[in-house]
Amino acid sequence: MDVTHATLVEAAKSWGLFYLIGFSICVIIYTFWPANRELFDRAKKGILDKDDQPWT
Amino acid sequence: MGQLTTRERDLAAAILLVLAIVGIAMAAAGRFDPIGVHGAIVLLYSLGLLYLIMSSSFGPPPDPSRISRYYDDPIKVGVWFTLLWAIFGMFIGVWAAAQLAWPSLNFDTAWASFGRIRPAHTTGVIFGFGGNALITTSFHVVQRTSRARLADQLSPWFVLFGYNLFCIVAVTGYFMGVTQSKEYAEAEWYADLWLVIVWVTYFVLYIRTLARRREPHIYVANWYYLAFIVVVAILHIINNLTVPVSLGHAKSYTIWPGVQDSMVQWWYGHNAVAFFLTAGFLAMLYYYLPKRAERPIFSYRLSILSFWGITFFYMWAGSHHLHYTALPHWVQNLGMTFSVMLLVPSWASAGNALLTLNGAWHKVRDDATLRFIMMAAFFYGLSTFEGSFLAVRPVNSLSHYTDWTVGHVHAGALGWVALITYGSLYTLVPAIWKRERMYSAALVEVHFWLAFAGTVIYVFAMWNSGIIQGLMWRTYTGEGTLAYSFVDSLVAMYPYYIARAFGGLLFLIGAVVATYNIWMTVRGVPALAERHEDVPVAAHLADGAATGPAE
Amino acid sequence: MRELIHRKLERTAIGFVLAIILAASVGGIVEIAPLFTIDETVEDVEDMRLYTPLELAGRNIYIREGCYACHSQMIRTLRDEVERYGPFSLAVESKYDHPMLWGSKRTGPDLARVGGKYSDFWHVAHLTNPRDVVPESNMPAYAWLARTPLRLDDLGSHLAAQRSVGVPYTDEMIENAARDAFGQAVPDSEQASGVTERYGEETQVSAFDGVATRVTEMDALVAYLQILGRLTKAAYQNTAAPEQVPDPSD
Repeated sequence: MDVTHATLVEAAKSWGLFYLIGFSICVIIYTFWPANRELFDRAKKGILDKDDQPWT
Repeated sequence: MGQLTTRERDLAAAILLVLAIVGIAMAAAGRFDPIGVHGAIVLLYSLGLLYLIMSSSFGPPPDPSRISRYYDDPIKVGVWFTLLWAIFGMFIGVWAAAQLAWPSLNFDTAWASFGRIRPAHTTGVIFGFGGNALITTSFHVVQRTSRARLADQLSPWFVLFGYNLFCIVAVTGYFMGVTQSKEYAEAEWYADLWLVIVWVTYFVLYIRTLARRREPHIYVANWYYLAFIVVVAILHIINNLTVPVSLGHAKSYTIWPGVQDSMVQWWYGHNAVAFFLTAGFLAMLYYYLPKRAERPIFSYRLSILSFWGITFFYMWAGSHHLHYTALPHWVQNLGMTFSVMLLVPSWASAGNALLTLNGAWHKVRDDATLRFIMMAAFFYGLSTFEGSFLAVRPVNSLSHYTDWTVGHVHAGALGWVALITYGSLYTLVPAIWKRERMYSAALVEVHFWLAFAGTVIYVFAMWNSGIIQGLMWRTYTGEGTLAYSFVDSLVAMYPYYIARAFGGLLFLIGAVVATYNIWMTVRGVPALAERHEDVPVAAHLADGAATGPAE
Repeated sequence: MRELIHRKLERTAIGFVLAIILAASVGGIVEIAPLFTIDETVEDVEDMRLYTPLELAGRNIYIREGCYACHSQMIRTLRDEVERYGPFSLAVESKYDHPMLWGSKRTGPDLARVGGKYSDFWHVAHLTNPRDVVPESNMPAYAWLARTPLRLDDLGSHLAAQRSVGVPYTDEMIENAARDAFGQAVPDSEQASGVTERYGEETQVSAFDGVATRVTEMDALVAYLQILGRLTKAAYQNTAAPEQVPDPSD
């Protein structure tokens, strides 16, 4: 296939859009996946615990 | 450096010797060129550090129980680097601003002319102050959130001193006229190569430390630091692909020609804002804000969504720096669209921060440190809104090339980056040095108002001058001719340039106050009483006496 | 399943880094990759010429002094800019620019088409002390440029480095770089004729700084300023209201 400016521009424009949509869907699924809730909650509260020493 | 083992000291000495030899080679190859001066600087820098290493080489071996504590020594040094670069960079900034109002302030010298000190200001502030702040706080945050000691004892020092060598070489180069003229990437090829080595070490250290954590989930602040480290590496390498004139020349030519170079440059330039000045500092926000407010972040999920939004959208936005230029139209439009979309994740972050404080406003009122962080989030929201606004083509046609852009940048740099950094430092310093509190809460308060007033004066001056400039350039008379000459618009700028220099001066004084306050905190404030309940049970029994201040 | 993958990704941290790269790289790829083929869309301009060694040295002084911090070299496609500075800039005009110097700020005016608008003498006076010529100016003075001899001996390697990044300098040009730079600033010398031979009849050969015996950095910088916007006439054929290329001898 001949790679010209026009084909590159077209690919960039269309696939860029699909990539954007697909990526956002993945991120939203990950964020609202029910099993992740507990994980996030622990992370959210965990940093406020005492952390004066590393786990040994 | 007292915690380094004999082997690590030997290794450090070997690295420094190699560096010293590189310095000699540069000095010899570039004896007719500024690169020779840089060779001498590299040589002196490595010999100085070598002296430090050697003079402690017969000291007692490090305490084996150190493994059960965090490795905070590099953080302490990093805090000083951060504070000193802030004063240096801001001083040069005030000087440069004053030169625009009173051009004779370069005293007819080449090295102090505006074009040379301007990159010294931007590099000193962005890379010197901002970069050191990021490295320093990232060492702190990654250890605390992973509950793990840094993976290695030597590489944090390598990263810190290596990075500062880069900054020193870059800034001294500008005074000698060594520059690529690529905005925010002015440092020449050898400094760029060195930064790549430092950065890879930083990345490996960070990943290895994260790998030591127990919790499967990585706390969101680390995501931002990681994005900062990874993406800045990509940007830096691609934007700085150059061919040096010879190994004895500081000068190099970028491989990118004209239009491509403009796109690569602003892809870099805008994402340096995104991943250096935004992502890394958001990491500070997501750690130091909850810590200081003693409240968890308002919505953890929102922070995840905005992380991916920022990582994904920012990369597209660079072309909004090139509206109405010879760059193809569709690329300009993409840049504009994504810049506007970027507002969503940006405001999600700012809103998340402010909502975290909802219900704790009395703390914001009483605690100037928390107010620094709150005001930073506010300015972050303000300047991201402004950024999206300025990226719209018709607005950009007025604002581009004017002081409005400068005002926008400083709303971000002073209002967001510097305020969040000082808020984080005021939280970090007592924690690291195990002090009860800062030396003077009143001085923190003074610093806050100096910084806030300085930012507001600066930004308002530049908004006014920028809009006036933009309007004067495009005003037509009734006969259809341009109403003002360029010089007319310049004359109208002078009052604002003076106001701007004054605003910057206030901010600089604030930075000096902060440094004094932190110095006195380390010197004079009594150490925190030991808190035995914080120590894991096993560790407590093993080294009860060793949990005092780690010096 | 998805969730499992994600957990694993996070645990390794490396996977997470890959995700960051995936998210971040696409924007750059989409916008930058097509630009590598942009030459196809830029019209072929036959009269486009290269910077002479003296002009290139001047350009490097422009870079060294950070002039880009206050002067743009990019006239946008806006009516007031075209009327103030001249025809809007074309992509082809910066085809040989490594790096481009489009700039981002106009504390001083745009310089994309400053070439030929003022005399050499005006430029020298202005650079020596801008306030002698424009009393309101806040530009730094560059008087020392006229006192600093230009380094000529390494110009060949500069041209060679330019060639390795794609600027079509010939072997002959590289070989004669130092001679040509001298010749362009010393019109009466025997080296002067070679310049027009290699870079075109229209190349301006003159004692830019007013001293016809030696080559200073002032010569180089003024030579560069005088060529800005005049490497090709393409932009003048493009505008709706054709304008003449400025000629300093008028």
